[in-house]
Amino acid sequence: MARAGGITNAVNVGIAVQADWENREFISHISLNVRRLFDFLVQFEATTKSKLAALNEKLDILERRLELLEVQVSTASANPSLFNT
Amino acid sequence: MTASSLPISPEASNYDEVSMQQSLMFSDSLKDLKNLRGQLYSAAEYFELSYTNDDQKQIVVETLKDYAVKAIVNTVDHLGSVTYKVNNLLDEKADEISRTELRISCIEQRIRTCLQYIDHEGSSQQSLIINTPKFHKRYILPVGETMRGSDGTKLKYQGSFIDNVDDWYQFRKAVRATIKETPPPVSKGRPPGQSARPPQRSATFSFTSTMPKKDLDKRTVSPHRFPLLRSGSVTNRSVTPMASRPTTPNTSRPTNPSPSLAGRRYPSEPKKSASMRFHAEGENAKDAEQNPSKSKRLLKALLSRRKSRKDETLYRYLDEY
Repeated sequence: MARAGGITNAVNVGIAVQADWENREFISHISLNVRRLFDFLVQFEATTKSKLAALNEKLDILERRLELLEVQVSTASANPSLFNT
Repeated sequence: MTASSLPISPEASNYDEVSMQQSLMFSDSLKDLKNLRGQLYSAAEYFELSYTNDDQKQIVVETLKDYAVKAIVNTVDHLGSVTYKVNNLLDEKADEISRTELRISCIEQRIRTCLQYIDHEGSSQQSLIINTPKFHKRYILPVGETMRGSDGTKLKYQGSFIDNVDDWYQFRKAVRATIKETPPPVSKGRPPGQSARPPQRSATFSFTSTMPKKDLDKRTVSPHRFPLLRSGSVTNRSVTPMASRPTTPNTSRPTNPSPSLAGRRYPSEPKKSASMRFHAEGENAKDAEQNPSKSKRLLKALLSRRKSRKDETLYRYLDEY
């Protein structure tokens, strides 16, 4: 009887250890996918920041060019004699 | 929620409606992604309580595993959708900025073209205002002679080497008197008072006046267009103290008795004198070489003609020529 009870305990312990390893494996997979997702978010943030910076620079250049054009047009509008030739 | 109850139809043709719809969908995705955090925290708390209180822990663990997998997949889907929309929005903005740059470049090009056109028109107007004087190359003005240019400015010829105006005037007057008045020739044997000039002399002096225009044009382009180049004695007179006088003509004393004809007569007269001189030199080359002092005496006589017009010494020396 005692030998049979010892074998049952050993089997239970083995089943528990296997379940524990399966749970650890599942958690490792979950953590790995979460890290990949985190890396993707970091990369996406960097890419988006660079794109936004490029767009901001282009917008600044466009703003300056538009201001220059506005000044030129206002100057030309202030001197209508240039267009009366 | 049915498709008919949607405020924005999927077939919206207007660009504003489409962009508004996309922005609403993007904001909904961001809200779902933001609410996912709270759902995950609440699910974790629920599974923790269930695992501690419930007896069937294995079932709770399996449910937790399924929920975690579904939550990660849902999060990845949400992040993928949001990132795609963000990338799409950034690309659209970049394209819009590129189109705006192109339009601004077109406007700048137009403004530059307008400025170039304005500059060209201004320069053409200014160039039309300026009237450049044009003179015929036959017109050879003596020193001090002035003529009106096309723009009204006084122009003066300074290419001749006779600097003294009075000398030139006397010389020209004397030569003109000898040519046009055709003074009576005096032979060697006759007294100086008699005026009987042989017809050969007059023909010689009137050669240039009857010469065809074609020959005159040829003479104007010849290197002897400055007729006074050969008169070295006259040239040497410019170094006399009389030459220190100003070369500009005195406005108080007119250089021609008839000012209206000044512009026409002066340019043609030096050529006549040159023709006369060349012809006379061709005939009397030997005499000139033999008697170099004759030319000096002739010029002195010509210059002294101003004092007395009836000076017959001139005719005497002309006959000796």
